[in-house]
Amino acid sequence: MLKIDKLHVAVDGKEILKGLTLEVQAGQVHAIMGPNGSGKSTLAHVLAGRPGYEITSGSVTFEGRDLLAMAPEERARAGVFLGFQYPVEIPGVNNVYLLKAAINAARKERGQPEVDAFEFLGLVREKMQLMHMEDSFLSRGVNEGFSGGEKKRNEILQMLVLEPRLAVLDETDSGLDIDALKVVANGVNTLRSPQRTFLLVTHYQRLLEYIVPDFVHVLVRGRIARSGDRSLALELEKRGYDWVSGEAA
Amino acid sequence: MSSALATRISQEHASAASALPASVISLERRRNALQALETQGLPSSRDENWKYANLRPLEKVRFAPAAHAVPAEAARSMALPPPIAGYSRYTFVDGVFAPELSASADRPGIAVRSLRQSAVSAAPPSAPDARFALLNEAFATDGASVQVSAGADRESCLEIIFVASVDAQAGASYPRVELQVADGARFGLIERHLSAAGSASFVNGVVDISVGRGASVRHYRVQQLGSRALWFDTLSATLARDAKYRLYMISLGALSARSTVNIQLAGERADVGCYAASVADMHQSHDHFVLVDHLVPRAVTEQTFRGIAAGRARVGFNGKIVVRKDAHGTDSRQSLKGLLAGPEAEIDVRPQLEIYTDDVKCSHGATAGKLDDNMLFYLLSRGLDRDTAQRLLKWAFLEDVVARIEVPELRRQIEQSLAGQLNETVHLQELI
Repeated sequence: MLKIDKLHVAVDGKEILKGLTLEVQAGQVHAIMGPNGSGKSTLAHVLAGRPGYEITSGSVTFEGRDLLAMAPEERARAGVFLGFQYPVEIPGVNNVYLLKAAINAARKERGQPEVDAFEFLGLVREKMQLMHMEDSFLSRGVNEGFSGGEKKRNEILQMLVLEPRLAVLDETDSGLDIDALKVVANGVNTLRSPQRTFLLVTHYQRLLEYIVPDFVHVLVRGRIARSGDRSLALELEKRGYDWVSGEAA
Repeated sequence: MSSALATRISQEHASAASALPASVISLERRRNALQALETQGLPSSRDENWKYANLRPLEKVRFAPAAHAVPAEAARSMALPPPIAGYSRYTFVDGVFAPELSASADRPGIAVRSLRQSAVSAAPPSAPDARFALLNEAFATDGASVQVSAGADRESCLEIIFVASVDAQAGASYPRVELQVADGARFGLIERHLSAAGSASFVNGVVDISVGRGASVRHYRVQQLGSRALWFDTLSATLARDAKYRLYMISLGALSARSTVNIQLAGERADVGCYAASVADMHQSHDHFVLVDHLVPRAVTEQTFRGIAAGRARVGFNGKIVVRKDAHGTDSRQSLKGLLAGPEAEIDVRPQLEIYTDDVKCSHGATAGKLDDNMLFYLLSRGLDRDTAQRLLKWAFLEDVVARIEVPELRRQIEQSLAGQLNETVHLQELI
C-alpha cells in the first residue's frame, strides 16, 4: 500500500531523512519510534505534503500513485490522514463545518453526492460518543481553547469520520494522561481493518500497550536502524535509544 | 486642498445657496462652515492621518447637492434589504427623505423627524478633524433628527438607509443623522449606505451622537455602496457618565471610503466598544481613523479591527487613544489586524496612544500579514481545496468582529454579503 524508497529530505539545507526505506501493507499497524531529532515528525509531515521540506531524492508510492507529486489536499482525498502532534487552533471555523467540508471533499473525489445533513450529524455524534466528547464541541471553533488532550481526541474524531486508507499519527500519545490515552487508543482500534494501514509515530512504548503494532521500526539519524515486532519496543524501553543509536553509528 | 478645489466649492455653494434649506442648517452656519473650510482646506494625502485615503477622485466631483423632488427611478425600483423585525425604517435618497421607501412606525420613546422639520439641532462640528463635516454642514439638504427618551422597558430600534443614486458629476449626497439618547435610555440603530444601480456617487455624511448618563446605544453601520462610489464620513459621539456605546462598522463597498470617527468619553466610567471589519478588492480603498478621547477617570475603550485587502486594494485603520491628565483608571484595549490577500494589496493598521497620566491600563496589538500557513495546511490536510481553505480562513478572520453583531437577522445579512464578497460560489452560507 505504501512504499517509501531511499527517501532523502532536507529542511533549510540540512538533511533530516537520509535514505529511509519502508514498505507497509494494507491492514498493518507500524510503529515508528526513535529519539528526538531522528526524523520521525519529518517523515509524518512529508507523507502529508507539508511545505518547507525539500525532497532531495527517493520516492514514495501510495497505492501505486506517486504520493510526492500530489498536493496535500489530493493526498487527503486519496485517503491519507495526518493526525497532528500540535493541532492548530482555527477560531471562527467551527468543527462541524470542517468535518462536513472534509467529508464532502473526499466524496466529491469519489464521484459521490454530498453527505446528507442528518445522516452526517448522526455519524459525527456516534463517533463523538466513542471519543467521550460533549455535544457543545460541534459548534466550537476548530481546536479553539481546547486542552492538549481535547485536541488529540479531536484529531482521532476527524480520523474516525473520514475513515482514511492510511493514517499517520504523529505523537498522538504525547501530553495525554492515561484515561485520555485509552480513549484515543480505543478510537484507533475501532478503525483497524484489513483495508486500513496505520503509521504510529511515537517516542514512548506506552501507546503500543493499547494499540498493538504488527511491526516496530526504530529511526536513528534519518534512517531505519532496526525493525522488529512488538518485543523491539519493550527492549527499547529497557535499554534506551542509546542502545540502537550506538549500533547505528 | 488645491486652491482650484477651494474656489470651486465656494462657487458651487454660492450658486446653490438659495436652494439649501435653512431649516436644516441656517445660512449663517453654512457660511461659517464654508469659511472654516476655506481656511483649513479639505485634507490631502500629505496629511499624516489621510495618507491611506484615496482623495484624488474629489477633483472630479460636483459638490452641490443633487437636487430632485422625488427619488430617481433607479432608487425607487431598487431592492432594499429585507426589513429587520422591531426596527422602523427611514430611507433617504441622495440626502432627502423618501417616505415611499420607508416603513416608519411610531414607537414609544423614539421621536424621528426630518431635519427640515426638527426644532433641535446639533452643534456645529467641533472635532479635531472635521473638514468633511464642514463640507456637509455647508451643503446638507436633509437628514434624520432622532430623540430617544428613557422609560420604554425594552430597547428602541431604528434603521436609517441612505441611498445614493446620482453620479458625482451630477451632484453630491449629504447624509446626516443627529441623535440624542436621553439618560438611562436604550437604543439600537442600523445605518446603511447603499447605491442605486451602481452609480458613481459622492457621499459625504455626518453622524452626531450624544449618549446620556447610563444610556446604552448599539450602532451598526454597513457601507455597501457600489464599486465606483466615493464615501466620506464623519461620526462624532459624546458619552456621559456610565454611558455605553457600541459601534460596529462594516465596510464592503465604494471605490474610496474614509470614515473619521471621534468619540469623547466625557463622563466617568463611560464605555465604548468599536468593532470594525473591512473587505476591499480591486482598486478599492478603505480608510478609518478612530479617535477616542478619555477626558475623565475610569472610562473604558475597546477597539477591534479586522481588514482584508485583495487585488490592488488599500485598507487602513488608525486607532488613536488619548488619555488626558485627569483620566486615571483608564482601561483601553486595541486589537487591529490586517490580512494581505494579494501581492499588490496594502494594509496599514496603526494603534496610537497618547497618555498624559499614570495609573492606566492600555494594551494594544497590531498585525498585518498573510494567511497563517499552519492553519492553511491543516485545512488542506483534511482535503479542502486551497481556494475554499483560504476563503474559510478569511471568513474566520472577520468573525472576530462579525460574531459580535447582536441582531441575528442583520448578522446573517452581513455574513451573506461577506460570503459574496469573498466569493459567491463557495458554500460559506452553510456556516451561517
